[in-house]
Amino acid sequence: MSVWESQYRQAASQLVSPEHLDERIMQQARQYKPAPRTNRLASGAAGSFAAVAVMVLLIHPAQYLGALTPGGTQNSGPNPLENWQPQPSSVGVQRDQWFGLRSEVRAGNYVSLCDHWRREQRGITDSPLPRDLARKARQHCRLLPKP
Amino acid sequence: MSSKHYQHLNDEALLEFYHSTRNLAAFRHLYTRYKDSLYRYCAQMNFTCTNRVLEELWTNLLEHPPVLQGRLLRSWLFIRINKLLRRHLEEPAEAGTGRPEHQQQGEPLLEAIQQLPRSQRNILLLHMECRLPLATIADIEGISLKRCRDQYHQGKEQLREILHGPRRQPWRIVEVTV
Repeated sequence: MSVWESQYRQAASQLVSPEHLDERIMQQARQYKPAPRTNRLASGAAGSFAAVAVMVLLIHPAQYLGALTPGGTQNSGPNPLENWQPQPSSVGVQRDQWFGLRSEVRAGNYVSLCDHWRREQRGITDSPLPRDLARKARQHCRLLPKP
Repeated sequence: MSSKHYQHLNDEALLEFYHSTRNLAAFRHLYTRYKDSLYRYCAQMNFTCTNRVLEELWTNLLEHPPVLQGRLLRSWLFIRINKLLRRHLEEPAEAGTGRPEHQQQGEPLLEAIQQLPRSQRNILLLHMECRLPLATIADIEGISLKRCRDQYHQGKEQLREILHGPRRQPWRIVEVTV
């Protein structure tokens, strides 16, 4: 700061803004109130709208269309009871009656097979051979003359 | 936010804070920073309309926040008050003494400043009182920087002459014939 400036500042320090002017300007400034803070979450209008929206969602009959409307079950697809099946555990294990005869045929013993086949041919037995055993019998057994 | 916090804010940040919150304490702080400087400048430029001009300036600032666009608030304030003073200068003067307090109290330096032409006085005050750079003052006055600098030095020289008389001239020997 030059000598001039310091001399000037010293001389001008007696000049200050008068109080009545300050007071008048501050009075004007007091007229400008701070802008109210609008908190969207806390505002009354937004809160009531949100409450109404929740109530409408809860009370609206569309919530219960599937449950309460008359005849609603007619359009609800096939009845699940139609295809109901008993549990697999309840079905009893059935033994194959041809198991023993098949085992003999697989071992090369055709005696029992041929015996059964002849009886079938003569119409003595009630239980016809299954297809695979009958084919084997035609291949390996001879028809013996009637006694 | 207390007044301690305002001290750390610069003028521009404080102004922005005030306009977003309308906090009276923030405005008071801002006003205190500039009130005396503005008053001194205004009173020495045109004492009769000082109060009116200052009121108008602060009312403008309160009503319409200035868009600074990177400029300093200090520059904005003095550019604005300069415009207001020029406008009031064109109006007819009010009845009254029109003499500032310092003239009545007899401060020689301030009285000497009053004797300068308006343009020189404005340049001197804007530089010494308002601490504006000469480039900004040249913009305000609408003159070139060189001319502004010349006027500033001329003003200081003129002040010196008013206060201490003309520079001492070298002795001249005059031949006397008898």
